[in-house]
Amino acid sequence: MGIALQPYTEDRTPAVVAFNERLAQGGCPPEFRFPESPTPHWLPKSDGLPLFQEYYLATENDFVRGGFILKHQTFALRGQTHRVVYYHLPLSEGIINRAYATTGALMLRGALKMQPMLFALGMGGFGNPLPTMLKAMGWNLSAVPFYFRVNHPARFLRNIAALRSSFSSIVLSNIAAVTGTGWGGIKAAQWMRSVNSVRDIATEPMNTFGVWADELWETCAPLYAMIGSRESSVLNCLYPPGKNFLAIKVLRCSQTVGWAVLLDTQMLNNKYFGDLRVGTLVDCLAVPENAPAVIQAACDFLTRRGVDLIICNHSQAAWGNAFRSSGFFSGPSNFIFAASKLLAQQLDPIIDWQNEIFFMRGDGDGPVNL
Amino acid sequence: MSSPLIDRVRGITADVLEVPLTQVTPDSSPETLETWDSVHHLNLVLALEQEFSMQFEPEEIDQLGNVGKIVEVIGRKQNVAS
Repeated sequence: MGIALQPYTEDRTPAVVAFNERLAQGGCPPEFRFPESPTPHWLPKSDGLPLFQEYYLATENDFVRGGFILKHQTFALRGQTHRVVYYHLPLSEGIINRAYATTGALMLRGALKMQPMLFALGMGGFGNPLPTMLKAMGWNLSAVPFYFRVNHPARFLRNIAALRSSFSSIVLSNIAAVTGTGWGGIKAAQWMRSVNSVRDIATEPMNTFGVWADELWETCAPLYAMIGSRESSVLNCLYPPGKNFLAIKVLRCSQTVGWAVLLDTQMLNNKYFGDLRVGTLVDCLAVPENAPAVIQAACDFLTRRGVDLIICNHSQAAWGNAFRSSGFFSGPSNFIFAASKLLAQQLDPIIDWQNEIFFMRGDGDGPVNL
Repeated sequence: MSSPLIDRVRGITADVLEVPLTQVTPDSSPETLETWDSVHHLNLVLALEQEFSMQFEPEEIDQLGNVGKIVEVIGRKQNVAS
């Protein structure tokens, strides 16, 4: 009997545990482990909510040889509502045993057969095996741009230079390109953000998203080529109270113009950020004209908390412009968006659609590693 | 006139895996050819689909575990189609 795909059921848990043990013994890093319970801790299936995860296994008799996760979510595509599915954490025994080199392709084809409107996100860079396979299958791949703003130049330069990684080299050279030196570049950006400051902005911390968020979603959804549902029911599920997320509502002249979900993380020996205190703009929403207001409100909020650096991944071009005019630099991005052929076909009528889709770190599997 | 199926499959396999044709036998598999990893397996599947104008089902992809088995699966699909 060959390998078959099937939903993860409770009786398969011991075989998943054994699969993970083989991956560990084969030298795979700890993040290469499949969940050892068929019920997702994050986004389990619940009545009425179109946002949930499902686990699938590639089984060979009593053995598990691979697995993947499908996250179901509603998206607005060119203003129309569609169910689009996120393919993630594909793990195959082929990583450690060449006899199972066929399993990765089997899982990908199987997932695509189940859900033709599929996308992948993150993946660590174009050169990794999954994006290479997706490209070979005719998927459309693009990097989600990375932006960063420096609040404490001396601490930032000391930490980032000490890393001596390819990431830090590119970051430093991008800053130097502005004025010729790292310090000068950061100072120039700080001047730029004071010049472009938006007036009459107020910020309200909040715990839950209400009807106002639904109204904002209705206004924003048709303005972006592709955007995951940001209705209040979805947001309260993604960013529940009691977690370490910081949610703010942004008002301008007493009118709600947007919201942002933020993280404030003290890094320790992080391979990208050393020991910096990093603020992350995880997720946000506003009409494109109000992007500068939301970015400024988020940055002010994080700056008051004392972060050294503020980072964000954002795919949409108007938001990218707003980040740059708010004193952000562009950095190297290994956060890749990949659209299946059918999904890309839905977007193709839009010119330059890769710059008009709306993806952030809150999409996909959420703000992991932050 | 097309060459026998085994020769066509061997030729595609050698091209995709970037190995000399002489190294590709019916027993060649991911365990015997260094370059036959999961990414190259997918490339091989896609190349075979293009060459033979067919699409493999997910469960068939798992059956393509060596060159001899690839020939068997393609032969079977061609027979069904005709």
